[in-house]
Amino acid sequence: MVLVNFKTITVVPAGDALVDNVLSKTQRKTPTVVHKGYAIGRIRDFYMRKVKFSQQMFHDKLTHILNDFPNLDELHPFYADLLNVLYDRDHYKLALGQLATARSLIDGIARDYVRLLKYADSQYRCKCLKRAALGRMCTLISRHKKNLAYLEQVRQHLARLPSIDPATRTLLIAGFPNVGKSSFINKITRADVDVQPYAFTTKSLFVGHCDYKYLRWQVIDTPGILDHELEARNTIEMQSITALAHLRACVLFFIDPSEQCGYSLEKQHSLFKSIMPLFANKPVIVVANKTDLGWESALDDSGRALLESFKADSGGRAVLMKMSTHEEEGVSEVKNSACEKLLELRVESKVRGKKVQKVLNRLHLATPKATSQERTPNIPASVLAKRAVQSQGGDDTRMGGEDGDVEMGEEGSGPGAKKLERDLQEENGGAGVYSMDWRKLYKLRKEEWAYDVMPEIVDGKNISDFLDPEIEAKLRQLELEEDAREAVRDVTGDAEVGGYRFVTQGEKQVVQQIKDRKSLIKQESVREKNAHKHRSALQRNKVLTRRSRLQEHLEGLGLEKEEASDLVDRAASRRGVKRTRSESVAVSVVRSSSRPRSTSRTRSVSIAPNDGFSDPRQKAKAIELARKKLKTGVAKYGRKGDADRSIPSKLPKHLFSGKRGIGKTDRR
Amino acid sequence: MAVRCQFENSNEVGVFSALTNSYCLVAVGASENFYSVFEAELADHIPVVHASIAGTRIIGRLCVGNDKGLLLPNTTTDQEMQHIKNSLPDKVVVQRCEERLSALGNCIATNDYVSLVHTDLDRETEEIVADVLGTEVFRQSIAGEVLVGSYCSFTNQGGLLHPMTSIEDQDELSSLLQIPLVAGTVNRGSEVVGSGLMVNDWAAFCGMDTTSTELQVIETIFKLKDAQPSNLVAKIKGALIDNLS
Repeated sequence: MVLVNFKTITVVPAGDALVDNVLSKTQRKTPTVVHKGYAIGRIRDFYMRKVKFSQQMFHDKLTHILNDFPNLDELHPFYADLLNVLYDRDHYKLALGQLATARSLIDGIARDYVRLLKYADSQYRCKCLKRAALGRMCTLISRHKKNLAYLEQVRQHLARLPSIDPATRTLLIAGFPNVGKSSFINKITRADVDVQPYAFTTKSLFVGHCDYKYLRWQVIDTPGILDHELEARNTIEMQSITALAHLRACVLFFIDPSEQCGYSLEKQHSLFKSIMPLFANKPVIVVANKTDLGWESALDDSGRALLESFKADSGGRAVLMKMSTHEEEGVSEVKNSACEKLLELRVESKVRGKKVQKVLNRLHLATPKATSQERTPNIPASVLAKRAVQSQGGDDTRMGGEDGDVEMGEEGSGPGAKKLERDLQEENGGAGVYSMDWRKLYKLRKEEWAYDVMPEIVDGKNISDFLDPEIEAKLRQLELEEDAREAVRDVTGDAEVGGYRFVTQGEKQVVQQIKDRKSLIKQESVREKNAHKHRSALQRNKVLTRRSRLQEHLEGLGLEKEEASDLVDRAASRRGVKRTRSESVAVSVVRSSSRPRSTSRTRSVSIAPNDGFSDPRQKAKAIELARKKLKTGVAKYGRKGDADRSIPSKLPKHLFSGKRGIGKTDRR
Repeated sequence: MAVRCQFENSNEVGVFSALTNSYCLVAVGASENFYSVFEAELADHIPVVHASIAGTRIIGRLCVGNDKGLLLPNTTTDQEMQHIKNSLPDKVVVQRCEERLSALGNCIATNDYVSLVHTDLDRETEEIVADVLGTEVFRQSIAGEVLVGSYCSFTNQGGLLHPMTSIEDQDELSSLLQIPLVAGTVNRGSEVVGSGLMVNDWAAFCGMDTTSTELQVIETIFKLKDAQPSNLVAKIKGALIDNLS
């Protein structure tokens, strides 16, 4: 709200305090021990550091002060002028300017002595130079004691100034001393300004705040002003003049026609005339106070004329209002009319600006021009009836939008109220368990249709694509047409009626034949498919070669051709060999080469003799084969892997070369 | 009567429901709470129907309707459409339209007499709108936004527009629609009026974030209570201008 906050300025230290502070800091924050035996460069650095450090401390402190205090050229003109009146602009600027000069001088001193220190050849010389540098800096600061003291005073006073926002809505109360200005501000705001029955009770500006039309208004009480030359005015009066000159406010010029304040009405009038130029572009209200003293009846004609002349002298802009702060008569009227006038002025000037469009369009109510078209709202009768009941009974169940709750089921609180889906949900297991029956609300011609199952797709066709509300009517129509045509045919015997040809008996037969044939072909193909379903994937000719080879082999063993063929057939049959009880010749042939039964084993052995080989020669051959096979396999795929151990270099160069020749370590 | 509500912690109630003078469609939520808000207010007068469109819950943005009809996007499945048809009264024409801009609720704003449509909408769709909804159709944009359905909300009695709509646009729209209009917000300053607010001639539903000031504007401009919109701004206009600009 306030552009500059004067309350945040930090305390300005007095000259001595500043010097003490810097010196002790230098002592504490730089090294303290030095010895003349040190290298001269080290000694120089030690003292240079001290000089530079104290210069930096002074520089920082002064910069802080200079930055804290407001620059008069950048301030709002009201504050700039007020500061001028209160603290004397020249003095203020001079004080700050001198501090700025001191700051640069200190920088110069430090620079010079650091340069000298570079050439110092002993610790003693260095120390002397440091002493001289710090001494000159401190002397410089102590010369500005008065400036610092003045700035501290200004700071304290600034912090106590009222926070006046020059840009906001302001009512400014002005007038002769003792006419009731402070009583008025005490009445309309919560400011507690001292009111006493003598002149110049108020010696500075006071601020209070009041409300009007949901806005906050700043009310400023000014010290009384006397009617004399501007140059002759004192500081107290000048504060009022500054406020009048720079604040865009509604001016309430207080007069006391009862002259109880000690100044005649003529004097008050002449003051009004002399400060008229300050009222330019501002709404002005001349408030005639103290009606409780009965001046209205006591005033003579000349007085009355004088009272009227206030308005005339202001070019008709001023409004005269009567009021008594003592009796509180007309106080709020004065305040309201003042606020209203100022608001009007401010709105008028703001509406001319560009920024206001963003706000204006939201305050605009676009209303259509009167029209012949009748466009009535479609509100169901039941709603209107309910509203009528509510307005009669006055039991508007809803409390307005302020309560912030979901206003649902309020009617549901009564005993006979309708059950909502939410209630059903709670009764039937809660959210996530309950699912609503959507179909119960269906509005169909017959209620029982609601739960009819309707397929989505029938015969590969989407039902919805064929959905037609008039389908029954259309079907009926078609049937009627067909009946009519058949009737005609029956009478006339024509094959063609009205463009439609009836099918002859012969054609029907042909169609039937085609249909039968199609069905036969279909059945055949199905059978064919099924027959092949479980057949082995082996090709027929392969089976044949195996068969013929087997038969040849059997014949070679000395079997008759028929017997061999019979065995082969049996072997090829899907169920495998099935021996009959009377063993065939082939079997006996096989048996003949086996051991005699007496020597045969009665029990099976888990390990076959010779590891399943017929003789040791065969075994040796097989092992050799396997070894070869394995070898080629490994050779083919056996590449080096991560798991293989590898020593890339047996004698790494970097580990076995270098200066260490004694041989104590072989690793570094 | 304006009611604040929420759909599963979302304040954009206009996304999940569609409200007209003769029916109300409500999205399927995890619970029946949202549905029951509408049910409590409306079920005595008009059907309140659960619906989904193209399997989604954002029905308010996908379809548009008024007293006489309902337009569905081409993504609506046959079953959903059948359900809606079964649930709505016979006088409401339900029609699916083959429009490229399939979020019809965003592209079309309507009351029972006038429709505002997206400037790029098909000519055929425009005709379908005129036939099914029985309205005059105007191609318009609101505050430079082509999604008229999202940025305004109006009934036969009044309307709320995007807060940045200029005064000239407001007057033009008002003369097109023949209803009083204001620019305003819902849901604590949201400019997406269409999705934050569902309103018909006698009831309104807005997001839970809506401030009481916004609610007051809504109730007044849509004439949900006895207040007349003219009283709304006249009294404190000066104070508002001085304070806000």
